Amino acid sequence: MTILAAQHDLPAFRREIRDWLGSVVPTDWKARLARASNEEYIAFQRWWMKERSKVGLAIPHWPVEYGGAGLTLKHLIAIADEMARADAPTARMFTISLIHLPGTLFPHGTEEQKRRYLAGVANGDVWCQGFSEPNSGSDLASLRCRAVRDGDHYVINGQKIWSSYSMYADHCILLTRTDPDAQKHRGITYFIMDMRSPGVEVRPIRQANGRSEFGEIFLTNVRIPAENMIGAENNGWRVAQATLASERGVIAFEGGERQRYEVEAFYRKSLASDAAWLRDDQLRREFMTFLMEMQAGRRLLRRVLEESETPEASASVLPSLVKLSGTVLRQRICSFMTRIAGVDGQEFAMLAEEPFGSPMFEFLSAFSGTIAGGTNEIQRNIVAERGLGMPRI
Amino acid sequence: MTASEAAASLDQATLDALRESVAGVLAEQSGGTQVHAFIDGKNTLDRDLWAQAASLGWLGFGIPEAHGGLGLGVRGLAILHTELGRQGAPGPYIPTLAAAQAIMDHGTDAVRAAWLPRIAAGEISAAVPVTPDAVGNGTIRCLGAPDAAILLAPAGSGWGMYDLAGATVAAVPIWDRTRTVIDVKLGDAKPIALVGEGAAVAATLVRSMALAIAADCLGASQSVTERTIAYMKTREQFGQPIAGFQALKHRAADLATKLAVMEETLAHAVDRTAADEPDAGIWVMLAKAETTETAVFIATDCVQLHGGVGFTWDYDPQFFLKRARLNEVLAAPNPALRDRAAAILATLTRDSHSALELGL
Repeated sequence: MTILAAQHDLPAFRREIRDWLGSVVPTDWKARLARASNEEYIAFQRWWMKERSKVGLAIPHWPVEYGGAGLTLKHLIAIADEMARADAPTARMFTISLIHLPGTLFPHGTEEQKRRYLAGVANGDVWCQGFSEPNSGSDLASLRCRAVRDGDHYVINGQKIWSSYSMYADHCILLTRTDPDAQKHRGITYFIMDMRSPGVEVRPIRQANGRSEFGEIFLTNVRIPAENMIGAENNGWRVAQATLASERGVIAFEGGERQRYEVEAFYRKSLASDAAWLRDDQLRREFMTFLMEMQAGRRLLRRVLEESETPEASASVLPSLVKLSGTVLRQRICSFMTRIAGVDGQEFAMLAEEPFGSPMFEFLSAFSGTIAGGTNEIQRNIVAERGLGMPRI
Repeated sequence: MTASEAAASLDQATLDALRESVAGVLAEQSGGTQVHAFIDGKNTLDRDLWAQAASLGWLGFGIPEAHGGLGLGVRGLAILHTELGRQGAPGPYIPTLAAAQAIMDHGTDAVRAAWLPRIAAGEISAAVPVTPDAVGNGTIRCLGAPDAAILLAPAGSGWGMYDLAGATVAAVPIWDRTRTVIDVKLGDAKPIALVGEGAAVAATLVRSMALAIAADCLGASQSVTERTIAYMKTREQFGQPIAGFQALKHRAADLATKLAVMEETLAHAVDRTAADEPDAGIWVMLAKAETTETAVFIATDCVQLHGGVGFTWDYDPQFFLKRARLNEVLAAPNPALRDRAAAILATLTRDSHSALELGL
């Protein structure tokens, strides 16, 4: 039986995934990646997507008419859970392709756009997101990248930033300003941009953790055909809301489950080796507080998933509360790991084979949680204003 | 719905209805005004509530039906204690219901049949040592009302039930005036019944108190946060409600975040206990440690967010803060609870049992 053929029997579906993961994931993938160059890391992600594609797990959540398997949220949760359990590789490079693009095109794209671009994703196209600009971060709607109509094209000039994997992207979902005189939310237009168009230049940005996962995009007289517009002219802000709402919690859930296995493996190893920190009252107690908060956080992530298919989801601040608690907990756990590792933990190393084997890398990487996807400060505004009804002044 | 109907089926809707009914009664009878008046000795809210609780079956939530209770288990008890905490309600609920649990788990049939129905009916209240596994000789400091009828305390190698009519009881004035602490001198008094052997009774009391305290902390923290945010929306400075200032909004958002975590912390401890999982003890002890410390943090911040009036006797945050501070030190010191949780975790892990399974 194949994985997808087992979809009507959830336990069997899980078993099939588990068997497949057992046969396809190289046991030493982490060790290999720990020494890999950036290019090897990218190639590895492409390989992993191909493997997933072979068994129908690249785009299983899409409707059947667009090449997906039309799986339910329950299936996606099962997949995420099995991936975490098996400590399977991730393919973050495809996040925009798999989640944000369909999340935007299904409600707002033309039939032609859906047919054309979604098929490409199934074949491994990489998409990036051109939303933030150097002067438009938290205040995204103030973006200034200009699009000016010229016949049946738009001409784009401006700069985008924090675009993950834009160096490797085939396409970009792009927000531009078409009416600079309108109120800031009302003059924005949403486009699909071919990253190979003349005038597109991408420069990788080196992050504090040593990696270069995102880039800056410079756009000089880039011509985009008008048919690449998603939604109507000056209606891009509304379309962008669909993009931003497209991640319903499955990625965060998988992250929470991965962390559980990581922490558990770390603990088991510490116990077996009678690690010094376990005999230190203060450190041991600190670890126990993390453990309790981690369980509470995993329960909250399950609540987000439960809520995601209800009408209340769009107005709920639960995802913000989960982001605030979960990302800060991650930082605290990584900070703890950095402290107990002593000077050994200061050795420069990126992805490690062992759980928390490179605590500084993990600690620094944890900022992507507190900053990306709406900084925690923006989340606090959302919680206070939308959740607690505190006035916006 | 009555509590006995609720006992029949324990699904979420039933529990929600139960919570609503308990919360409704408490909001009406034990609002801020009544609690302040009680603190100042101007009413008998503790007795009135106790009588009400008895007539509504609340005191029997955790007691099996065979002994005059409603058999709602830890889920029912968590609801009751959360709602009591929400209103800062006065009364010896924690010691009495923890004692009932110890009698249920360790008492003989005769002891259970004799005492559980009386507790369920609200006829008597019980006292227990403030930290059941650290009871010294001589005077025993207890959580309980000065007119408590019985005390559970060590008796020889086990634990016994003492009739407090034959003991010297002195009320200890404490900062939290919504609960009562007493010093008991048993003298030569002999237990009227044996409750159980060895350290098991103390362990049950600690766990039972820990869950009740965690629930109390959740309700109290949600409540003091709500009251504080409501106040911030009406208090104006610099020509606007202070709730509009971002520095304060972010503090409020952090409180809401802590509350979300706290809610699941309690729920996890309750779920694992209700399912009788081998790791339940870990989560009960950690839940008490976490929720009490968070409750102190939240109540402290709520005093501060009120500004000058937060420091007054007449506003609500102070009594929540005092309640939180007492909760923090009851049952067992938090470092000791974390150590005990760590010890259970180590044992389970060595036995190849994962304590982190959650299901989906």
